[in-house]
Amino acid sequence: MRKNSVEDFDSLFVEKRSGVKRTFFIVVLSVLALTTIYIILSVGAVRDQMKTAQNLAQGSPQVNSSLLPQLKEKAWLESRIKMAAGDSIGLSIDLEELRIQLELKGVVILSSKIRDYSISGFFKKMDGNVYFATFGTPLTIQQFKSSIVKNPLKVVQAPKDTIAAQAAADAEAKADSLRDENVFWTVKLDRNFDLDIQGIDSIAEAQSKYKLGKGFEFKRDLKNIANSFEHIFKFKKPTYTPEILISIPENEAKAILRALPQNASVTIRI
Amino acid sequence: MIRNFFIYLAMLVVGILFFVSMVLFAIPALQESTIVLVGLSSNSSGTGEVEADKSSIETDISKLQKKLDAYTPANAYMVVNTSDNHYFLYKGKQLIRDGICSTGKNEKLVSEDRKYEHIFHTPYGVRKVLRKATNPVWTKPDWAFIEEGLPIPSARHPSRVETGTLGAYKLEIGDGFMIHGTIYKRRMGMSVTHGCIRLLDEDLEAVYKTMEVGSKVYIF
Repeated sequence: MRKNSVEDFDSLFVEKRSGVKRTFFIVVLSVLALTTIYIILSVGAVRDQMKTAQNLAQGSPQVNSSLLPQLKEKAWLESRIKMAAGDSIGLSIDLEELRIQLELKGVVILSSKIRDYSISGFFKKMDGNVYFATFGTPLTIQQFKSSIVKNPLKVVQAPKDTIAAQAAADAEAKADSLRDENVFWTVKLDRNFDLDIQGIDSIAEAQSKYKLGKGFEFKRDLKNIANSFEHIFKFKKPTYTPEILISIPENEAKAILRALPQNASVTIRI
Repeated sequence: MIRNFFIYLAMLVVGILFFVSMVLFAIPALQESTIVLVGLSSNSSGTGEVEADKSSIETDISKLQKKLDAYTPANAYMVVNTSDNHYFLYKGKQLIRDGICSTGKNEKLVSEDRKYEHIFHTPYGVRKVLRKATNPVWTKPDWAFIEEGLPIPSARHPSRVETGTLGAYKLEIGDGFMIHGTIYKRRMGMSVTHGCIRLLDEDLEAVYKTMEVGSKVYIF
């Protein structure tokens, strides 16, 4: 009787262990399956983006690769002239000369040195035809997201009398100080590109800003994860958005953000 | 039982972390890799190959550059950065003077009865100098009284007329907006105006003497 009960206990333990093992394999296989599906879908998303870019270039004359630098210069100037035809403030980004500029009616009204930049591999792999089809005409901003308010407007109630007016004026004078704001903004461009601008003033400041910038990006990462789960459970392709990240002085990052209208044109030279 | 629960939980957490790290790091890296991006070239058969020679492209570039340069006014013009409260005075492409200024405070003033609203903002875009004047007199608009908590006087009431407030010169740029001086020098370089562009005395004099009627003012 006693012997049997010991055997029962042992078999129970073995069963439990094999249960854990089975669950372990199920979890591992599920995660691997999900990851594999997601990898396939993600690669498919890149291929779609490539196809869209290739379709844009379809039918255009072949570009002689030895003339690529000259043709890039031509595309850059042509695109800026097209931008100058509009009445709005536009943005031109020259990653060759490392300059970012605000232009209005063809006049450069702000020019800033790009301190650092990174671009997606997508842009590096473009051949001449795809490049001209993509950057030969200005791009259009479709959406802004920023760490600071784009168009701040404070609503003020008119004072009842002169005493209240004086008190309001005194309070306003006291409130005036140089505020240190962390400027990060990102825009979605047509042709499905993201342009990210971060304000960086010095190496020391850049380190602390980097963390805050990561905070801004973290929200985006969380959204990406949520989107990824949504896509995978619906067996939908995730979105692939090639990205250009540019670091410029903070004041200029802020001025450019505030100056650009909602559907501003953007000219880029890579 | 509890031990197994924690084992399952740990497996689930590790699985989720693995998937999240793949989504955040590994898959984006894969998407950017050469293996995935190979073949990003147009498969255009072309509508006839263009053997454009270098010199003709360079001629085109030179023409385009001239066309673009022609947009920049040859005479004096001013650029105002309302974000930094800084102005720049140019002649052609040459910067001849720059300094601090004050621009619109980006406020919406609403009267108590909500019947009156006014936005104090320096408008972006390009404007022209329409009129120039020395020793300008300021005719105070309604908002100047509302802002001070005073009753609005009649249109021709003497309390509307104020001398000295605008400095020694003014340049009108349309819709009631002006470039003028100020008596509030301590607040220069700040966004404190009702939409006008305030300059320090010496800067105002230089701008007044350099800018003609018709000169352009680019504001952003």
